Amino acid sequence: MAAKDAAMFRARVSVTAIQLLINMEMKPCLSFYSKLPSLQQLSVRWKSGVRPAPFLTATPVRALIDEQISIRGSFLPPHSPITLSARMHSDEGDLWESFAHFNTSASGTFSSTNDHSVGGSYLGCEPMGLFWGMEPAPGSREGLRLRKRNVEAPYVVRISLLEGHVSPSEDQTTELAAVNAERWYLSPGVKRIDTLQNGIVGALFLPPGPGPFPAMLDLWGMGGGLQEYRASLLASKGFASLSLAYIGHKDLPGPPNRVNVGDSYFKAAFQLLQDHPQVISDRVGIIGLSFGCYVTLRIATRTGVKPACLVCINGPVGSTVTLSDSEGRTEIFDSYQKYWTYDDQGYVIFKEVSLPANLPPDSIVELEKLDCPLMYIVGEDDLSASSIENADMIEETLRSAGKPHLFTRLSYPGAGHLIEPPYSPNARASLWSVKPKKLITLWGGHPAPHAAAQEDAWEKVLNFLNANLRR
Amino acid sequence: MERNPLFVKLSAQPSRALVDERFVVLVQNAVPGSQLTVHALHQCEDGHSWQAFAHYIADAMGTVNVSEDSSLGGTYTGTEAMGLLWSLKPVPGSKPGLRMRKKNVQTPMLVTISVYQGHQTDGFVDQAPLATVVVERWYMAPGVRRIPVTEYGLTATLFLPAGPGPFPGLLDLWGGGGQLVEYRAALLASHGIASLALDYLTCKYSMETKKTVSNQYFEMAYRVLAEHPQILGSRIAMLGLSLGTSITFRTAVYSQVIKLRCAVCISGSHRQPHNSSLEEILSFFHSNADKIRFNEENEVIWRDLLLPIPSDSTNKVEVGQIKCPLLLIVGEDDQNWCAYESAMDMKEMMEKAGNSHLLTLLSYPEAGHLIEPPYTPHVRSSQFRDMSTRQIMMVLWGGQTLGHARAQEDSWKKLLVFLREHLYSSSKPAPLSHL
Repeated sequence: MAAKDAAMFRARVSVTAIQLLINMEMKPCLSFYSKLPSLQQLSVRWKSGVRPAPFLTATPVRALIDEQISIRGSFLPPHSPITLSARMHSDEGDLWESFAHFNTSASGTFSSTNDHSVGGSYLGCEPMGLFWGMEPAPGSREGLRLRKRNVEAPYVVRISLLEGHVSPSEDQTTELAAVNAERWYLSPGVKRIDTLQNGIVGALFLPPGPGPFPAMLDLWGMGGGLQEYRASLLASKGFASLSLAYIGHKDLPGPPNRVNVGDSYFKAAFQLLQDHPQVISDRVGIIGLSFGCYVTLRIATRTGVKPACLVCINGPVGSTVTLSDSEGRTEIFDSYQKYWTYDDQGYVIFKEVSLPANLPPDSIVELEKLDCPLMYIVGEDDLSASSIENADMIEETLRSAGKPHLFTRLSYPGAGHLIEPPYSPNARASLWSVKPKKLITLWGGHPAPHAAAQEDAWEKVLNFLNANLRR
Repeated sequence: MERNPLFVKLSAQPSRALVDERFVVLVQNAVPGSQLTVHALHQCEDGHSWQAFAHYIADAMGTVNVSEDSSLGGTYTGTEAMGLLWSLKPVPGSKPGLRMRKKNVQTPMLVTISVYQGHQTDGFVDQAPLATVVVERWYMAPGVRRIPVTEYGLTATLFLPAGPGPFPGLLDLWGGGGQLVEYRAALLASHGIASLALDYLTCKYSMETKKTVSNQYFEMAYRVLAEHPQILGSRIAMLGLSLGTSITFRTAVYSQVIKLRCAVCISGSHRQPHNSSLEEILSFFHSNADKIRFNEENEVIWRDLLLPIPSDSTNKVEVGQIKCPLLLIVGEDDQNWCAYESAMDMKEMMEKAGNSHLLTLLSYPEAGHLIEPPYTPHVRSSQFRDMSTRQIMMVLWGGQTLGHARAQEDSWKKLLVFLREHLYSSSKPAPLSHL
């Protein structure tokens, strides 16, 4: 029966039960319970007191976040509806959840990797749908985006098996079985080191062993702060990685909502990595997302250092404007607001700001000077940056300069701006600023295609890095 | 094209796993055809270091896949995905008679896996490896709860799986070494069975009163399981190893209080006075002390203690009366107990009595006495303190490393299937002789 009907039925029966209780003497013995047949009918098949709960497993139960996990259930009734639900808390304490509806097989089993979800946060056969399909629980704060702050502890995801096809956050549900899965951003043995030397604000992650290692400089966008979770993952893959903060961090100079550091800062950070005793100095690459892409291109063309390869994700070739820091305080450079557009919900779309035609010409880097392989990743539904146009510009310039072989483009239909390591949910929109006014920005991307893009891009990025940094 | 060996890539997937899960160790980007040594190092809780290593040749792609390629030498040879763990041996210069057992099950075993250039056999500590990874091997899955139990005077620890339950339960008994050994119970809880690790030799009661526990002690342990709101009283099993099997056989056949859904006996024997207490069992063993032998290395061989097995039912638990499924796991090279001979005799007894459909017998030709969860190292002998006599001696357990490792892996897999079938299934207990 539908979940709603079941709830009504339960409510009706509870009333009946209460009346029975009122009319009867309360005797704590077996016969009391046998006089309440309606309650017994209600009792979950599994909780009759004779059979154990169904068996639920998740493998591997402790994994890196880019590893697939396989969830299986057995000792269930055959051909029965069940709901698989996942819940976890972000580092900020927000509850995120997802669910999928399955029908068990003739032998009373199901498998998340082989079976199709017929309802819920995702549809079809999607082994990791329960993870990338997560959303903030009803009643959550507006505009949330899931980002790991403390990479030294895992996300703990409670995966539950529920009876029937239910919507866990709305319906009354009975948890039949549960497993806890740990999702890590860090492999065992990876060391995290704060780098506050020479005013460089960052976190260095070193793989285990004596090295020396190839290395990566890791750059994020105007959201600011120090985002460690991609660098920690790269270190878990054997690359010494430095995540660098350049805006919106308490240890950086000047007001937090502007970029108060320049080429010398970025150059110093790159050289910090090159000069590290455990790093192979001519095998250092750079990865940048959004504005971090611009920083990447600047370091490669204007600072004199020689990176071994570059990965640019959805970012501009010229400078866009500082809009806010990670805590939501805003200072707006009025001259660039003219390129902001809004959708009918009032969400701000930054895309036009980075159209090559709108970029201040002096800020556009000398792309023809690029001398190392560059992989550019485009989300075709990117609403925050004009990724396609910027990619075109880089490709065209390199072709004219006789270096087309340096350029690789990965383009993903339906993917948005925030192409991050795989299996984390995409934020189609999230809170950008609180003051002077609350702004939610549209990043773009639809759940399933964005998830596919993240999975494919990550694998290709790692192959690209291995091909260029380990030869 | 010469590739710089510094770019060699090493990975072990998964890097965090339960101790009974397999991993894949992969070396990539090495010089094709080059000689490589894959090395594992573990420092256990008592500070001793254990190592394993294997010699490989990188293929045309510069890859070594430990799960698919053949080791040409080292602490194991041939294709052995988990050889780096089960062939771990104390490093040269270690104290003799070491045995690896995890005491704190809430932290993982850390194993450092490295790849070295060339075919090395020693001096690993002095060389720089080409690459290193660290793996964590856990006895507890996330969400498993560890609950010390002291009610009813017990010295025990309960491990509850994650989730609402209800769960089947299991009483987990080790042998004559005593102590509260938690790791197998923790692992079983990680597989969905609420398990109680019970110390019955060096428990608080025995240490204080200097007396052996009575049958009631085990009945109380059973009660803790049966009364727990998240455990099903009708689905409780008992698992014993070595001396623990004596308790298990006795309980399965004679106990009026403990109703077992199924029983597992590893490396044990049914040889004991009928329906006796632990004290009587121990006296029976001591009365045969003249049968103890020593080998050339002065290692104790206890296996003759209970031999020969009489053809009548004198001093043999009447397993023909057992009413629940029984899984027997024995090593044919067991030098500590006559487990194999006992198992053969039990099979015959059950066939005569007509209840052999309840018996599943797993017998391993090269396994010794200590058949434990897989991928932990085998020792043929080790220092052992017998808790009933308080003497420390070097005891010969038996087994050949390769055969013993295979036995541990195979028996554990089948043990889990056996327990799941009988404890989770809704149908009546069925024989699993097809295992």
